[in-house]
Amino acid sequence: MSVLKRFGWRGLIAPALLLYAVVFFLPLGVLIGDSVRPSSSPALSLQNYDAFFTDGISLSIFLRTVRLALFVTLACLALGYPLALFMRRAGPGMRLVALTIVVSPLLTSVIVRNVAWLLVLGREGMVNALLREIGLIDAPLPLLYNTLGVVVGVTHVYLAFLVLPIFSSLLAIDPSVEQAAASLGASRFTVFRRVTLPLSMTGVIAGSTLVFVLTMGVYLTPVIMGGSFVTTLPMVMTDLVRTQFDFSRAAAFAVVLLAFICAVLVISGRAEKRIDAMRGETS
Amino acid sequence: MMQENRIGLFVGAVAWATMAFLILPQLILLIQSFTIEDYLSFPPKAFGFRWYAYIFHDETWLKALGTSLLIAALATPLAVVIGTAAAIGLDRGPSCMRKIVRTALISPMILPHVVLGMAIYRVFLPIRFDDTVTGFLVAHLVLCVPYVVVTVGASLQAMDRSLEQAAMSLGASLPTALWRVVLPLARPGIIAGAVFAFITSFDEFIVTYFLASRQTTAPIQIFSSLSYQLEPSIAAVSGLTLVITVALSGLLVLRGSLVGSARMA
Repeated sequence: MSVLKRFGWRGLIAPALLLYAVVFFLPLGVLIGDSVRPSSSPALSLQNYDAFFTDGISLSIFLRTVRLALFVTLACLALGYPLALFMRRAGPGMRLVALTIVVSPLLTSVIVRNVAWLLVLGREGMVNALLREIGLIDAPLPLLYNTLGVVVGVTHVYLAFLVLPIFSSLLAIDPSVEQAAASLGASRFTVFRRVTLPLSMTGVIAGSTLVFVLTMGVYLTPVIMGGSFVTTLPMVMTDLVRTQFDFSRAAAFAVVLLAFICAVLVISGRAEKRIDAMRGETS
Repeated sequence: MMQENRIGLFVGAVAWATMAFLILPQLILLIQSFTIEDYLSFPPKAFGFRWYAYIFHDETWLKALGTSLLIAALATPLAVVIGTAAAIGLDRGPSCMRKIVRTALISPMILPHVVLGMAIYRVFLPIRFDDTVTGFLVAHLVLCVPYVVVTVGASLQAMDRSLEQAAMSLGASLPTALWRVVLPLARPGIIAGAVFAFITSFDEFIVTYFLASRQTTAPIQIFSSLSYQLEPSIAAVSGLTLVITVALSGLLVLRGSLVGSARMA
């Protein structure tokens, strides 16, 4: 305990920093080092990065991953924003139920949720069984092993990361502002469009960014729900390491992905700050 | 007026549909896992514990579940101790350091785990640390600690610092004040952090997937079984995993720590 007195806060953080140094910062550093040392020649070179942008395949897979992430973010917004609005208006009991439902996927295993979706969307799954039962279809619909299946699965996994920030930014809105707008004759839709939505924008940006960034790194759900028909950057990286043993190329992919994610985070952080500043001016 | 109601109805309808979307698949999984047939079909024609009994007699599943539970049971207390200490340290450190160190400590939450997985594999492989339970444990720790830092940090922020100062002015040493005053007050955050840490470790897939070759954990065993056929045994293991995590999450809700976990996101 005398350690605590002598080193204070540093001593308390030290174990965590030691752990991170060994299994976080060191590995990431080694990864960056490997990316500029191609497996074909031991000399330092940007060959891997060059190949990423010019071989035609890598860049197109990267763009396809970006597109998937955009689809998922839009799907999350379409489902999550109304849900956050609903939670704001709900009474305390209903709000707790909704909050529990929203948080519950965060607490259940991703692979278990994917297995659940296989049971719902598969050829012999619930949706096809029900549709066939009521005579709407003769042959099972292809709901899995395509982009739709992956978007559904990933949206299910990450929706909470969007709902929670939007919900908390909605909660921070002073209801009297909306009442003032309404009393001045604005319709409910106008109040939403001109007051509620702009004031919740920081939550929308924070949540969308989180979902977008997380989807860029998703591996498991596309593999299970997309089969081999939807390829993402993380899938290619895993394949390079596990079956082709080309760690150096995979490392370059990883660095590009990390750089892209950092850029997205910086841009969205700036946007949030600007919105906050604008709000400060008006209020 | 008609239009006003329609907007409210629309929002409500989407909200209910979304909540159904969030929980229905897990319910379907639970229902199907109790089938006693040889294959999965919807709806099952008869229910029983056949496949649950099967996994408790199958060596592969038992070993995988056992490894997962063992790692999670070791990772949780370690992550709680390391994370709580770091959160208290952050709370006390100079404010210029606080932001940088905090960002560094929670960055494993946002960094794609696929990147972390291959990087850790790259470092563990030459020292033959890759296919070992200890290796899994150390790798899981770095994924679990951020949750503890965040939840305990939120608890500490909500705490009244004057209580600790009061204890110290009454003669308690700093360690005593931390142990008797700060830690009990931070308990909701510690419990929430422990639950998140356990579930994170128990469910972890991609980092372990890189490290594993002969050793398996439950998620990895589920994944490799999926490449053959979706068997009722997979539904049963998934159902069991679901029950374990739901029970733990139920603890969170009962403890009222949900607010804390909502704040972190």
